[in-house]
Amino acid sequence: MSQATATTAPTTKAFGGGRSPFNVSYGKMMMWFFLLSDAFTFSAFLISYGTTRFFNAVWPDANTVFHSFPFAGAHAEWPLMFVSLMTFILILSSVTMVLAVHAGHYNDKQGVIKWMLWTIIGGIAFLSCQAWEWTHLHHQAAWWGSFTDITASRDVYKHFFKPEVLASATPEQLSQSTNNFFNFFFTITGFHGCHVASGVVLNIMLLVNTVNGTYERRGHYEMVEKVGLYWHFVDLVWVFVFTCFYLL
Amino acid sequence: MSHSHDENNIQHLYEGDQSKLYSGVMNHHSDINSTESKAQVANILKITLYLAIITIVEVIGGLYLYHYLPKGIINTAFLILTVVKSAFIVKVFMHLGDEVKWFRFCVLIPLALFIWFIIAFMYDGGAWLKINRGNPTRIDYIKTK
Repeated sequence: MSQATATTAPTTKAFGGGRSPFNVSYGKMMMWFFLLSDAFTFSAFLISYGTTRFFNAVWPDANTVFHSFPFAGAHAEWPLMFVSLMTFILILSSVTMVLAVHAGHYNDKQGVIKWMLWTIIGGIAFLSCQAWEWTHLHHQAAWWGSFTDITASRDVYKHFFKPEVLASATPEQLSQSTNNFFNFFFTITGFHGCHVASGVVLNIMLLVNTVNGTYERRGHYEMVEKVGLYWHFVDLVWVFVFTCFYLL
Repeated sequence: MSHSHDENNIQHLYEGDQSKLYSGVMNHHSDINSTESKAQVANILKITLYLAIITIVEVIGGLYLYHYLPKGIINTAFLILTVVKSAFIVKVFMHLGDEVKWFRFCVLIPLALFIWFIIAFMYDGGAWLKINRGNPTRIDYIKTK
């Protein structure tokens, strides 16, 4: 990127002393390191999901599980549309966040307020979508630890598998894979949802502080950058969750 | 300047003088309507467009191409697109591309652990798959629970 080359030309070697070789404040560096550790937590979840999927003989089909849309009726066949909408909402709230950070770099208080408001709205919209999706799946009997009864009729799995897989798989295979799939689905999207929810709380605190002029008095909007890093990270995790659960 | 911690100068206790730290795009400017500012916003919107296009391609892949292309190819494409998307977010939105070299290394080098991470877990999954194939009654565990 062209701006990167514009960073201060070092007069001494990076580790020669007298200045920070990293050129960031303590708080921002620690936010990055926290996000690194959080990235490992999320990837542990996602990779063990991959492992579990790998050793199951059959697996629920994403286009069959996620095919409904609010207000579209019980028999709507709109695979992937709702989750794509959620993805777009989160990406757009990430964009409004980066615009808030940008306004912060220019000490533009009104700009920060405007873009923080949009970011908060995006976050709440995303959480509402997730609440709808969870409710919908719950109505199809999916939850943590569900589908453990192998004597159950094949019919209970009809919302989750392709017809040919549903017809050919053994009851044990259907039970084990559906149980595993939903344990991981609710754990991972739930853990991500918790991150979004805390992000929204942080964003609201940020908005209140901005309106009160706390950052204006401080002379910089670095707190917007730090919370912005967290918010982008939440978006980043969703990019991977989207791929792992809905595409692969 | 007074050194008493009154309402007006307490802020430096929270964060130091940031103006000495940042440079380039993250420097502190004053005019939001300057051409420099507008160029940065244009760049952000350009990346937004890229992310939207990649997502649309992914959805088309997940909906239609999945039925025609071999699984290995389409899944590799999905993973590559995911990494490209995340690289855009980290580089531009999180401004990692605007940090100094040593800090970029600090954040990116630990990610190499993922290589080991994925290999180890997939190896584990492979071992379980082998056990499952040799022992189809393993499911009894779930039944009796």
